[in-house]
Amino acid sequence: MKLRTTVSAVALAIGLMSSAMPAWADFWSDAAKDLKGTTIRGVTESTPPSNYVKDVLAPAFTKATGIKVEFETTSWDQMFDKEIKDMEAKTGLYDVVYIEQDIIYSYLARGFLVDLTKSMADNAKLKAPEFDPANFTTFIDYFKDPTKGNDLFAVPMESFIKTYLYRKDLFGDAEVQKAFKAKYGYDLAPPKDHKQYTDIAEFFTQWGKSHDMQLWGSTVQAHTGHPASWYEFVESVEPTFGVYNWGINAQKNYAASVKNGGSMNGPQAVAALTWFLNNLKYAPPESTQSTWDEIAATFAAGRAAQGLVYGENAAWIATNDSKSKVVGKVGVALPPLEPGVLEDAESGKGYIGYFDGGAFAIPTSSKNKEAALLFLEFIGQPSVQADWAVAGSRITLKSTYDDPKVKAQDEKTDHYYTLMKEKGKLFAGAPTYPFHAQVREAVAPIFYRAITGELTPQQALDKMADAAEAELTQLGYRK
Amino acid sequence: MRSQTTGWLLLAPTLVILLVFGLGPFIYVLVVGFTNWNSFAADPTAHFAGVQNFRRLVFDDPFLHSLWLTFGFTFFAVLSEIVLGYFLAQLLMRDLPFKGFFRTIHTLPLMVAPIAVGATWRLLTVPGLGPLPYYLDRWLGIDLRIGTFADQAFIATVIMDVWHWTPLVTLTLLAAISSLPKEPFEQAQIDGANRAQVFWYVTLPLLKPAILATVFIRVMDALRTVDEVWMLTGGGPAAATRYVGLHIWRVVFPKTDYGYGAAMSLLTLYVTIVLCWLMYVALVARRELPRSE
Repeated sequence: MKLRTTVSAVALAIGLMSSAMPAWADFWSDAAKDLKGTTIRGVTESTPPSNYVKDVLAPAFTKATGIKVEFETTSWDQMFDKEIKDMEAKTGLYDVVYIEQDIIYSYLARGFLVDLTKSMADNAKLKAPEFDPANFTTFIDYFKDPTKGNDLFAVPMESFIKTYLYRKDLFGDAEVQKAFKAKYGYDLAPPKDHKQYTDIAEFFTQWGKSHDMQLWGSTVQAHTGHPASWYEFVESVEPTFGVYNWGINAQKNYAASVKNGGSMNGPQAVAALTWFLNNLKYAPPESTQSTWDEIAATFAAGRAAQGLVYGENAAWIATNDSKSKVVGKVGVALPPLEPGVLEDAESGKGYIGYFDGGAFAIPTSSKNKEAALLFLEFIGQPSVQADWAVAGSRITLKSTYDDPKVKAQDEKTDHYYTLMKEKGKLFAGAPTYPFHAQVREAVAPIFYRAITGELTPQQALDKMADAAEAELTQLGYRK
Repeated sequence: MRSQTTGWLLLAPTLVILLVFGLGPFIYVLVVGFTNWNSFAADPTAHFAGVQNFRRLVFDDPFLHSLWLTFGFTFFAVLSEIVLGYFLAQLLMRDLPFKGFFRTIHTLPLMVAPIAVGATWRLLTVPGLGPLPYYLDRWLGIDLRIGTFADQAFIATVIMDVWHWTPLVTLTLLAAISSLPKEPFEQAQIDGANRAQVFWYVTLPLLKPAILATVFIRVMDALRTVDEVWMLTGGGPAAATRYVGLHIWRVVFPKTDYGYGAAMSLLTLYVTIVLCWLMYVALVARRELPRSE
């Protein structure tokens, strides 16, 4: 009897407590009470993580708040074109814009973005209990402004490493292993250095030819008219040779050339470009028309044995058999490195590759800042992260790594997520330059000429260094 | 007096639209062209720069290269379209089976947005996926890689433009041919002219106004080609297809160099006007000028 009374009392107390506490969903409907019927518009790049936002998170947010969300997913070029025009002209067309961590410094310099830390402090009723910047990985630091007390200006929605992907099935094939060892004298495994990478690329290209397979040794993101090729070089290849921050030395008056204190045309950069161009010999013929999207498609089509691929594609390449021919055959590893680069990265002097990602921010020109703020908090909750991570191989919150769904996906992707968790610190985002697109546009056309063979690596890099310095002088950064 | 007021009232909407969307932006570009303005520079505000941008242009090799490249593209594309369009128009004048069906199919490219045309041709020409590289290699042993070979990329952009715009030429010339009087042709036959003579001395002079109008429209269009080429090659390989419109777009938008980009636009407009004027003088006005005694 006593026990029954105690149990009843406890049950009653729990019942009363739970009815008195606001339900999780109640915050969203309460906070959005005055904003129901508002429509917020966003623009983002058409990528797996962004498509998940458009197709899943935006409708869920509308259901929870009554605020409609219209998301435009478009190409990378068009996205920046549209949002910059909108913010520049202050038209207020967009309430949410995608920002890559490499362009935020340009936007901050122009005062384009709303200070989220301040907005949440000023509107306590809009501060979601589940949203906490402290939950995020260190990637969130790229979206803070150190000149404004590290206030947050954007909420990370994707982050991933551009890593080395290889065909596990081919690397594990006994016949392949035997042939490789016979030719090169060492065991076939993910390459530790660039020489090994080239050996593997050469081997599989020959293997593809001799076995009448549509197989080449390496992907190469070498579009001859799109900056994706230049990005692959400066973000993913040069760091593995020890050239960091595009070879521009901010401490030496933004010098690019060796003679002025930069490293854009130094011996490591020449070696990096020579290696990059040499890989074209072992790459599928579509490589000179390939941007980041086509590289993923090439790998997923089973046309390359290895390559550097943006991590946002790792999950679908490894698991989605409606889009990928290599499901269950994908291995991940760190990219090949020159001696000393790993030590540089571990000591914080350098990095071994690109930590890519982006965030959503609110332009100061937005006409629906409150509704947009709620949306950013909604996508930053821990509860929506796991499915998103599985769909887009992106992780922005520390806790997401431990979610069972992510752990299961980790198994299927050869532990890509674990690699990102444990080795992500060795990768880095773009340098904190406010002239990102301007320098790119000045030097990329010269870089394309190196791909077509019009210029040698040394000639191209010399011209690129001169063009970068001239552009920086013209922009007023280089005195 | 009343009729004059009514006339102005009826013209007013057109004039307003012309002023707001035509003259207004033109004056804005004109003003910006004389400034040094990059919104991501250390100083992002616009400053009056006199003729500095125009002086820079004269020594800007990539810009001058893109201009010459555009002339080449325009010449080959428009010439091909006129020749092909004329023969197709003549073909459609004949009683052929399924003529109506063919005319409809032939007009379809005109309805496709340039960006979609570029995307379609990109899919057609991507090695490993597109049918063109596959069949050209299989049947003729041609290694089609427009991302690698400059001449192939240039030819591909010309063919794409011809595919897209020849129907316009065909339709224009078809209308012109349909309205030609029969008498000059009958007279020429009575005089014993052969087909070549009929074409050269009768058909061509009678069609000249229609051909010239079409040439002017197509030349002006081809000189400002951007979206199709941007989608197909991105201006590459290197700068092999970086036509002037695409070059200006990259300077103005991704690079945000508004002042210099505006100056480029103005110079390109000036060159277009001069080119059209020269064509007009060479093909029309010269023969209409009174001869000096």
